[in-house]
Amino acid sequence: MGDFKITYEEIFSLVHNMCTGISSDVLEIMNKALVKESNQGAKALLQSMIDNVGQAGKLDKPVCQSPGLPTVYIRFGDQADLGGLSKWLPQAVVECTKKGYIRPSIVHPLTRYNPGDSSGVGIPNFEYQYRPGQEYMEVIMSAKGCGAELANLSTILTPATLGTNYVGLKKLVLETVTKGGGFPCPPSAIGIGIGGQMDISAKLSREAISTRDWRDQHPDPLFASLEKELLENINSLGLGPAGIGGDTTCLAVKIGYAATHTAICPVTINFHCWVARRFGVRFYPDGRREYLFQEAK
Amino acid sequence: MTEHNLTLPVNDAQVENLSMGDTVYLTGTVYTARDMAHLEIKRLREKGEPLPVELSGRAIFHAGPVVRKTDKGWELVVIGPTTSIRMEPHAGMTGELGVKLIIGKGGLAKDSREMFQKHKQAYLQAAPGCAVQLAAGVKKVTTAYWPENGMPEAMWVLEVERFGPFIVTMDTWGNSRYDEVKDKAYQRIKQIYG
Repeated sequence: MGDFKITYEEIFSLVHNMCTGISSDVLEIMNKALVKESNQGAKALLQSMIDNVGQAGKLDKPVCQSPGLPTVYIRFGDQADLGGLSKWLPQAVVECTKKGYIRPSIVHPLTRYNPGDSSGVGIPNFEYQYRPGQEYMEVIMSAKGCGAELANLSTILTPATLGTNYVGLKKLVLETVTKGGGFPCPPSAIGIGIGGQMDISAKLSREAISTRDWRDQHPDPLFASLEKELLENINSLGLGPAGIGGDTTCLAVKIGYAATHTAICPVTINFHCWVARRFGVRFYPDGRREYLFQEAK
Repeated sequence: MTEHNLTLPVNDAQVENLSMGDTVYLTGTVYTARDMAHLEIKRLREKGEPLPVELSGRAIFHAGPVVRKTDKGWELVVIGPTTSIRMEPHAGMTGELGVKLIIGKGGLAKDSREMFQKHKQAYLQAAPGCAVQLAAGVKKVTTAYWPENGMPEAMWVLEVERFGPFIVTMDTWGNSRYDEVKDKAYQRIKQIYG
């Protein structure tokens, strides 16, 4: 057995840093969008957003008041240290809430009772994924604002409504982005889950946009070309930052897929706000760390 | 496009003077209210009981701040807009209460547009996700009503100074920037995919 050497202090520091910055892949895309944006009002909004991230880091404050529902992806091989993570991640979220880095936004679903410390049944949402043969243990945590969730959509297409050249799917995505307008804090990004059953497509959609680098390319050429086409076409709609006009509507489209039944094509569209607060770290059995979503130093 | 520095409370004429795309900064008292605060106001009105605050001529901010309790009282950490469309069912109520300005993100829909015309109200878009910048305009957190509903859902009373910038995106003449932009986008989708 290796020794991952994970401590509570390390976990707390990862969660703390997640709250006070956005991941560097997203910041890079925002900076490129700022240069290309032709609408002056939209340009000013993008500049405000980028400046706000800088100020949050300097003042040690949360970038955005809305922390969303914390979700953690843990991908492990035959060696893992799940006990510490399962205990320390909820503890770090509670401590960050008490210190004012996370707004206490978690409530009972029916009574709406708010315990005031971001604790509750199923919080954070842990997605444990066994990856046979993987040497390291990968942990990705994401806090995406829940305004974005209001525009999400799950549906079941059929071969007929999927349409020739997937036009039914493509129209659905563009119409959903348009209907969402300014609700999901554009410029947003979207995760699309395709296949499985309803629950699978929903999980895939969240995982795609929460765990992938927003600059990467899908390994499958079909999905790579679909992601590119959708991103370009969404940005031609003119919705813009905050949904009040401009070229910068969407920062990334990421698709996750699974095989499905011959009669159906489940699809979920999952929005992510531009405030992409997340961390990713690979723990190696010899104590080494590899950090994701940040520039090499 | 004009910049307006308004001191609350404001009157009908001041709201009628706001045009789409104008920039607004606010000084005075601003109340936060999200889903639960609107439901509390509705409950009091239905029971015929008085509201804890005077809303006539004032601004409601669809927002839930992060605040810290200190020895001297409340300290505001950050504040930013929440998605306003959840408050659409309360359009008539805020109009009847004399609320003049609604601050949020994403805009409101048809019922609100009609109420904005009828009751002389306007909607102001705050930069989404820019919670640190907006916090600079809040000078004091006076008090909170309904704290039992949790930090985001309480109604926070804020003393603000040159609070903003906000962009006028729905005016008192029935215009909505969101609807204009969406109509164009739907036309574009037809062009692309038929």
